[in-house]
Amino acid sequence: MKLEQLIIAYNEAVFDTDRDKALQVIQAAVNNGVSPEEIVFDVVVPAIEQMIKSISEDMDVNLAQHFMASQIAAEVTDEMVPRFKHSPDIIGRIVIGTAQGDLHSLGKQIVTGCLKARMIEYIDLGVNVPPERFVDEAVAAHAQVIGISAMMVHTARGEDGCLKVRQILEERGLEDQIKIVVGGAPFRFDHDLYKIVQADAWAEDGITAGKVIGELIQEVRR
Amino acid sequence: MITGMDRLVAAINGGTSDRIPVFCNLLDQGALELGISLQEYYTHGERVAEAQLRLREKYGYDNVWSLFYVGKEAELLGCREIIFAKDGPPNVADFVIKTPADIHRLEVPDDISAQPAFEEELKCLRLLRAAVGGRYPICAYITATMALPALLMGMDKWMELLFMGPAADRDELLAKCHDFFVKEMRAYRQAGADVLVYSNPFGSTDFVPMKFFMERSLPWIEKDITAVGTPGVVYYCGMARFNKVIDIVLKRTGLGVYYLSPLDDLEQGKRIIAGRGLTCGVINDIKLIDWSQAEIRHEVKRMMEAGLPGGRFLFGTGVMPYGIPAENIRTMLEAAYEFGQYEKLEAPCLR
Repeated sequence: MKLEQLIIAYNEAVFDTDRDKALQVIQAAVNNGVSPEEIVFDVVVPAIEQMIKSISEDMDVNLAQHFMASQIAAEVTDEMVPRFKHSPDIIGRIVIGTAQGDLHSLGKQIVTGCLKARMIEYIDLGVNVPPERFVDEAVAAHAQVIGISAMMVHTARGEDGCLKVRQILEERGLEDQIKIVVGGAPFRFDHDLYKIVQADAWAEDGITAGKVIGELIQEVRR
Repeated sequence: MITGMDRLVAAINGGTSDRIPVFCNLLDQGALELGISLQEYYTHGERVAEAQLRLREKYGYDNVWSLFYVGKEAELLGCREIIFAKDGPPNVADFVIKTPADIHRLEVPDDISAQPAFEEELKCLRLLRAAVGGRYPICAYITATMALPALLMGMDKWMELLFMGPAADRDELLAKCHDFFVKEMRAYRQAGADVLVYSNPFGSTDFVPMKFFMERSLPWIEKDITAVGTPGVVYYCGMARFNKVIDIVLKRTGLGVYYLSPLDDLEQGKRIIAGRGLTCGVINDIKLIDWSQAEIRHEVKRMMEAGLPGGRFLFGTGVMPYGIPAENIRTMLEAAYEFGQYEKLEAPCLR
């Protein structure tokens, strides 16, 4: 199977939320001599990019597809990276968690699944994360980005969420070194909300988040 | 005096009244109204009933709610820990299902009404029924079979099980959730709820692909509705869009009320329903926190222009966050009462 056909077959399986078929496609490619590096960078990452393109073109892409694309991408990447000829270059690091008072972890799980394939390291702080901890962990890990997920309006806008993280970054003079990205349902219903909570960026969905986080990392490193 | 029920019945039947029905979902605001914490508020059915009646009286909208918070359903199935916030809805903090064995152990009570966790809701319903029964629709919130597992194990774990299996565990859980759904619906009806909001994010193509919807979601929706019947049942996908499935849901289930997403194209939704049911246009109330009075009026007017022609239209709200200023709630409702008058329409528009 040529690389182009491989991408199409893998993408079809992902869009059909068919994990078993997607993994079969990858296994067949490995058996036919496609390198682990090609699998990740020429199949898995382009599949994520294709999904982002479909989202931006308002095609019928939905949460289940985001979820499956990210889980499959993470699974394939986890299996392929140890087989790389050289350890891959990590482009940056993020600490990620849900805002204090918020126990919804699905969005965060989708985001982290996609980060693996993009070679972005993440430290998952879990759910119900206090603002101080976001900053302390980001400093300790030399992370360029703090990711805050919030599924409810009061956790997205609350004084112990992004607003407080911003305040701490400001007080400690860290704003040039650490950027904040937010995501979650309230941000989808109000596209200006990320400005109100003083984040640097927001992502409409977990798949697009990987791209936004990559851009923020580049911004810090510039 | 024209009541909320009069307005609702007129709209459902394609008739007219003084104005269209206006539903406002003020839940957590009840605590604010009574000047107590959300935790104090939700532990007593009498308080919830009192606040629901006071809020309806204060603002003049057409419905009251028996819903405390969505996690109540998890409590009925064994959840023992709810986390309360000072300014937002309570959340399930301890999932009933943590391992596959918990699915096998899950027991659905025969009589939901007899459950201690239902006691306060029953008190609330009795008080609401005594005060406004038959005059103002009493709403209840019931999670669909396919969505209920998310409350019991978390949405991420449920998505894993739903899409990746094991199929036997998934099917066992769905069967138990369906059993619960049917019994819960019966309990609410017996207690006097008129409007039964059937909440199912998996009934939206924002959530699942159309292929999955047709093959997996729709059969469960049909099973749910066949088991409980359509009277009073409202199709709602938890603020997710569902215009793409309205026609098929309508044909396959006979459901007659559709509570759209604020992100749905309202005019398109109305066109698809085409007089076969009641279209409920839902304002993007997350923006109500920051909108100016002029922006609120403009949005309500826009929605009325999209939904009112042809009648069979209801104006509604979504989650109504706790942080919405009271004056913005009032501005929205007054605009809805003003722009929602049938006399604003040309007579031939109504059928």
